[in-house]
Amino acid sequence: MSEPIIVFDNVTKEYTLYKNDQERFRALFFKNKKAKINKALSGVSFALDKGEAVGVIGDNGAGKSTLLKLITGVAFPTEGSVTVKGKVAALLELTAGFSMQMTGRENIYLKGYILGLTDKEIKRLEERIVEFAELGDYIDQPVRTYSSGMKMRLGFAINVNIEPDVLVIDEALSVGDATFKKKCKQKIADTIKSGVTVLYVSHNAESVRELCTRALYMKKGTLVFDGPTDEALRIYQDDKAKKTKK
Amino acid sequence: MFSIFKEHKGFGKQIMLLAVNDLKKTYKGAAIGPLWAVIKPAFTLFVYWFAFSVGLKSAGDISWAGQEFPRFVFMLVGFIPWFFITDSITLGAKSIRMNQQYVTKVSFPVSTIMTFTALARLFVHLFLSVIMYVILLCYGYMPSVYNLQFFLYCPLMYMFFVMLTWSTAPMAAFSKDFENMIVSIMSGIFWLTGVIYNSYDLGIPWLEKAMLLNPINFFVNGYRNAFIYNTWFFENKLELIIFLAEFVLVFALGIFNYNRLRKRLPDVL
Repeated sequence: MSEPIIVFDNVTKEYTLYKNDQERFRALFFKNKKAKINKALSGVSFALDKGEAVGVIGDNGAGKSTLLKLITGVAFPTEGSVTVKGKVAALLELTAGFSMQMTGRENIYLKGYILGLTDKEIKRLEERIVEFAELGDYIDQPVRTYSSGMKMRLGFAINVNIEPDVLVIDEALSVGDATFKKKCKQKIADTIKSGVTVLYVSHNAESVRELCTRALYMKKGTLVFDGPTDEALRIYQDDKAKKTKK
Repeated sequence: MFSIFKEHKGFGKQIMLLAVNDLKKTYKGAAIGPLWAVIKPAFTLFVYWFAFSVGLKSAGDISWAGQEFPRFVFMLVGFIPWFFITDSITLGAKSIRMNQQYVTKVSFPVSTIMTFTALARLFVHLFLSVIMYVILLCYGYMPSVYNLQFFLYCPLMYMFFVMLTWSTAPMAAFSKDFENMIVSIMSGIFWLTGVIYNSYDLGIPWLEKAMLLNPINFFVNGYRNAFIYNTWFFENKLELIIFLAEFVLVFALGIFNYNRLRKRLPDVL
């Protein structure tokens, strides 16, 4: 057993809901005890080892997105701690964080710096990314001139080729035409094989079973089950069946 | 405590790129693009000069430190730092909201947003300063050793107003009301600052002292010290001490507010 790369220790994430803008303004200066609080995650603990491929399943509003946001470092826990070692690449919103005025190439550097890479490392990866994105001469044009498919291709190319330690994937991912989609699927499969830790969020039982050996089942902000994929899926489907019976 | 410094580490080149990018965003799509960076302030300056020199004839030349200065020259040297200050305060306050994709979509060193926003304005400021210097030469103000104080006042000004946005930008991102408040206040602050009049010479001693509390006056007067008054920055000791105290205060408040709000930003934007 290698040492864990992602550790969630009793993580709780609360969102404060302000009734209106006045209350929001007040909250800048005073502590607000009346404000409604929405618990998106409560007391979630787990650890992922290096090289594991783990599925995250659950209904809408179960806290899957919040979980991913905490891992990618966009959001911060209210209580508990989240430890992530290494670079995290996310195949969620592929065009996120692009600067529209910059060229595709400059955006590669921007993304690289955000992930903590040095000039030298980015230079080494640059050609591979450019090649994968299949943008041709457009790579030196501002991103605002790209079609939405081109933007996604660039986003995908950067995230999978930047040699991440953790790859976060949302199943509801669309990356242009069938040929490119196939290439992406292949790349994801290769990446998983190469020993990168993968978190895969999906509603689709089949694809989770196909890619992951372990699964986390989330329900209303709590972690209900953490274990072998088959068992997690069985519990999930049982729960669903119970719900429909009611 | 020093998360802001940590966020800047290794991000220098990127801040440069983002600042240039910010300028492109501001001036793209216009036929004469970057020229607007000069035309807009030039027109503002002309309007105020017209109002005060032609309209209100009583507001004639300025005499200070035993010298006479044409109203235009006096106003020009005051306006150059003012343009930077007003832009960096209002645009700085809006900066996080304007760049919210960096806060809500990726893990980004958020405090660098304020740094590159102000840096973009600094480029414009440096350009305008060169133009100002040429105009002053044409008016017969010869280069002097006092001019070198520009290299003290200018970086200090940049730092001071970036530090101010450590407080204002997260707060404005949190509440739009706060942002509107800052924009409204700034239009009033102009008249409380000695840009078109001399805050040293109001004829009411206590008021002249009170004016020293406005840090913008420190820079407006500082530029005049450097370019037309031929005075050293340490000659007005009270002004310097008040400013340094404010510098420390703004720094501490900035660190406090940024750290207090940073982790809540992705939830509210």
